[in-house]
Amino acid sequence: MKGEHVAALYALFGALVPLTSPGHYIQWHWIQISVANVVVIFLMIVTFIAALLLPFPGRRRRRGDDK
Amino acid sequence: MTRRFRPDVDAPIYKGRYYPYDILKEGTIALVVVSLLVVVCATLFGSPDEPAVTLKQWSTAQPLDFASTALAELDGSSGVAGYGPPYNHNADGQQIGPLTLAKWMGVHIPVNAAEDFVLLPLTTLPDEPTLSAGLQEWAAASDAQRTTWLNAYAKGTMTFSAGVIYDTATGDGPVGLFITDLTSMARTGALDADLIAGRGYYTTDYTKPLLFLADGQWFGQLATAQHLGGEQWGMMNEEGNYPGQAWLWLYTMWYQVPPYNSSWSANADAMVWATMMVLTAILALLPFIPGLRSVPRWTRVYRLIWREHYRDEAQRNAAVKDPPSA
Repeated sequence: MKGEHVAALYALFGALVPLTSPGHYIQWHWIQISVANVVVIFLMIVTFIAALLLPFPGRRRRRGDDK
Repeated sequence: MTRRFRPDVDAPIYKGRYYPYDILKEGTIALVVVSLLVVVCATLFGSPDEPAVTLKQWSTAQPLDFASTALAELDGSSGVAGYGPPYNHNADGQQIGPLTLAKWMGVHIPVNAAEDFVLLPLTTLPDEPTLSAGLQEWAAASDAQRTTWLNAYAKGTMTFSAGVIYDTATGDGPVGLFITDLTSMARTGALDADLIAGRGYYTTDYTKPLLFLADGQWFGQLATAQHLGGEQWGMMNEEGNYPGQAWLWLYTMWYQVPPYNSSWSANADAMVWATMMVLTAILALLPFIPGLRSVPRWTRVYRLIWREHYRDEAQRNAAVKDPPSA
């Protein structure tokens, strides 16, 4: 039963993101990169920027200690 | 006498307040979260393990390409036959300028293309008196005679029909028989088994079949169709739409640009490796390289990360400079 749930989850995910279909590639002059890799790099940049800009957790508590 | 403060090397003494911080707690949370992410992402985005391609598949899909490659292995014109170290002494192998790196390391994976890929596998075929006679004839022949046979076979036209390789060549001695029988042997799967024989039941050493495959056209076509070719940034790609090894972008980039893909192409592997080692050394020695080590100080990204601290510090300094009136 659990296996069926996992298979159903895979099927749902596969329908949303068809990973097994022929790959899509971006070509710009001599640079060639897959769309999947572009997405990964974009997410890494977003994560990096978020790490810079999001406040540290526990900041309010520490400030409260100061007072 | 006090030493002058060097901003790109020295760190100022911190005079602010210290706070307790449970780094073990943070480390544990980070480990658990990252481990979960790894498992989930590997489950959802991990590319399927394609079964390894075989000589049987190759000789079935493209028998003429297989037979042509077998001939190249026999006459010594294949990529592996003329590669040099670590497989043989027929060239200097990969080098960086005058530094013959591969030659220094020596031939530690010996491959005699004609013997290992063609002649020895043929000796394992049972009940083949004509082939046995041909192998004996080949063994007894001089190099000049072998070359004459090989040239004669190459002048003929190769065809494939009813599961058998034919060639219109005449005066080719036993060469035609070798190519025909080796192709038939490969199509049964016996050649795959023979090239890994003697390496244990659970062998993971597929060097010889892989080298043989790499000399043909078919294997490269498979890779190109999946965007895995060297000239396609293949090192960082995966099959289909699966994300690949994006972090290898710099390593594979060198293969796409001159002189690595032009005048250095014969030694591209060694040159790219050397380039990456130089860049890695620069990264490792960054704290000791004037100018480069100051880049973080100039870009001031650290002030963005610790903006709260610097804001508080600015407020304190302003309060000291301009105290509120009573």
